Amino acid sequence: MTSQISRRGFLKTAAVSSATLAMPRIALAADGFVNVYTGSDSNISDFWTNVILPGFRNVNGDAKVRVVDAGDGAGLRAIADRAMAALGTSNDPQVDVFEAYTPDQTTGSIEAGLWINFAAADMEGWDKVNPAAKQTDFDLPYRGSQVLLAYDATRVSPEDAPKTWDEMTAWIHANPGQFVYNRPDKGGSGGNFVRRAIHEANGRDPQKFTLDNYSEAYANDTLPGAWGLLKALAPSLYEAGAYTSGNTQSIQLLAQGVVTMTPVWSDQVLQALSMGVLPETTGLVQLQDLALCGGFSRITVPTNATHKDVAMQLANYVLSEEVQSKIITELGGFPGVSWDYVDTALREKYKDVIPASIPTFPGGDWDAAINDGWYRNVAPGISRG
Amino acid sequence: MTDMASPDSNVRKDGFAKRHGRGLTGLLLVAAPVILLGWLIIYPIFNAVARTLFVNSDAGASFSLDTYQRFFTDSYSLANLWLTLWVTVVCAALLMAICLPLALYLRFAKSRIAAVVQGLALFPMFVPSVILAYALIRTIGPNGGVDLVLNAIGLPKINSPYLTPWGPVIGLVWDNIPLTTLMLVAGLGGVSDNAVEAARDAGARHVALLRHIILPQIGNAMLVVLSFTVLSIFSAFTLPYVLGPASPEMMGPFMQRTFSQVQDTRMAVTQAVITFVICAGFGAFYVRSIAKNREARQ
Repeated sequence: MTSQISRRGFLKTAAVSSATLAMPRIALAADGFVNVYTGSDSNISDFWTNVILPGFRNVNGDAKVRVVDAGDGAGLRAIADRAMAALGTSNDPQVDVFEAYTPDQTTGSIEAGLWINFAAADMEGWDKVNPAAKQTDFDLPYRGSQVLLAYDATRVSPEDAPKTWDEMTAWIHANPGQFVYNRPDKGGSGGNFVRRAIHEANGRDPQKFTLDNYSEAYANDTLPGAWGLLKALAPSLYEAGAYTSGNTQSIQLLAQGVVTMTPVWSDQVLQALSMGVLPETTGLVQLQDLALCGGFSRITVPTNATHKDVAMQLANYVLSEEVQSKIITELGGFPGVSWDYVDTALREKYKDVIPASIPTFPGGDWDAAINDGWYRNVAPGISRG
Repeated sequence: MTDMASPDSNVRKDGFAKRHGRGLTGLLLVAAPVILLGWLIIYPIFNAVARTLFVNSDAGASFSLDTYQRFFTDSYSLANLWLTLWVTVVCAALLMAICLPLALYLRFAKSRIAAVVQGLALFPMFVPSVILAYALIRTIGPNGGVDLVLNAIGLPKINSPYLTPWGPVIGLVWDNIPLTTLMLVAGLGGVSDNAVEAARDAGARHVALLRHIILPQIGNAMLVVLSFTVLSIFSAFTLPYVLGPASPEMMGPFMQRTFSQVQDTRMAVTQAVITFVICAGFGAFYVRSIAKNREARQ
């Protein structure tokens, strides 16, 4: 009999302990925190925690905001799926703000009404947003960053640094093994380099590519030219056609003196310079015939967020002159608002460095087509001995 | 267990009931892992296979092999599969070549140095593969530690394996040394000192000793080792991802990319099923050798 009791006791203990395990989840949902999920690198989550949130306390002293690192885009997609699943039910999606997310990453979410329409939300900041950065009414571009070419200035003098695509191609062929870019799906620096090749193959007209004009036929029409350009570069790249697996790895090869030139994110390279990862003799150059693409990180707010009002307040605050100026000074990024809404002194100081517009490339279906197309057409290249 | 300890069980003289009670406890004890296995592994496998074979459309579910056909007619996917097989075979061969002598040494050496060697051989087990990947870039990568040393003594730089198929091979071999060595040492434990000494007395040399006395006795262990390493290398992700070339990719990074980047979940599941079938083949080897071992003992 004792055995029976002990078995029952065991089950009881098991039940209690599993209930305790489930508790934190329940507690998390009701703890009153506004959850900001980010898929960006740690410099961005640090910026939110150390710059944006302390400043936000002056706007709304009562709000408790928590920044959660979702890891990457796929992590954010999983959280967005949860919000999508909770839509139309009374369940708490446990997320109030997405950082670096676009609505098209969750299929059918716009149609289902998952995202707040910023244009219709009577939001004071929406009119300040740089029109060139706007993609849909459901995402709020709040910081931008462009891809530049970084080079070792001890080996290439600034006058000789390439300023057009053709000069760059000539330089790469004249210096075999000294250029590397990363796989387009593993980081935006290589990704936007590949997109610049697509622009090059299509008359350098960024207008030719929009979020809505993707079709398989149109992609088959526009992309193969770029594959040809990139394939022709391959034999003169590092290791006759090797591609690093991320933004950081490209910077690492530049820092180790293995390559002389590589595409980099502006904010990441400025940080690498200030931290001493890259020497001060690192030069930066942007192509003048058409800049390498940049990108904007976007905020989205789900309509079923528990703290929707605070989330909108926060989104508005992020577009304030205060935060937008700090995006330039502390993050090495570009403002999401038009330059008229940035501190005048800063505008003067950066006016030569920062182009009036950054060409962008739409995401959506183009992403998969470009990335997979690159893997199938460019990456295999010629066989390397 | 509790039945034996409880005073009540003394009252129960009936052997059947006692056996029955113990059987129930045993079943309950294994129930948790079996249910977990069924829920988290067996069910997803059948689910995955079904999802690749049946397409849901407006007209209802219909049977289709199109993703498999696409995989096996697509030279890009096949190149990835071949690379994975190649890396697996090369790694398994290298692991045997490195770990068998190491295991023989550890089994027969009685010195203190053997303890140190054993410690060193187990060390890779405690290094996470991400750390290992970056450490390898810093050492055998271009202009890495090895190049610096070679340069200092006036020798040319090495042809760095970074971003070539040899990058993950080196990493995976290093990562798998501890488990392989441990299993081989365990297998060698079954070889008795007496048999070895008897053969030596009869004049057997090292090679003859290995071929006729030791190898026949550890064949089973080697089969187990091989199936284990094949399974872990086939599904490797981090090292091929960081150290390997952009193309061809190994199946691990390829599946991940198909799933999260290309967002073709059905294709990703198809790749997983194909990978699983190949691994199951090696798993069958393992199960068969275990079963044979049991039979031999009975």
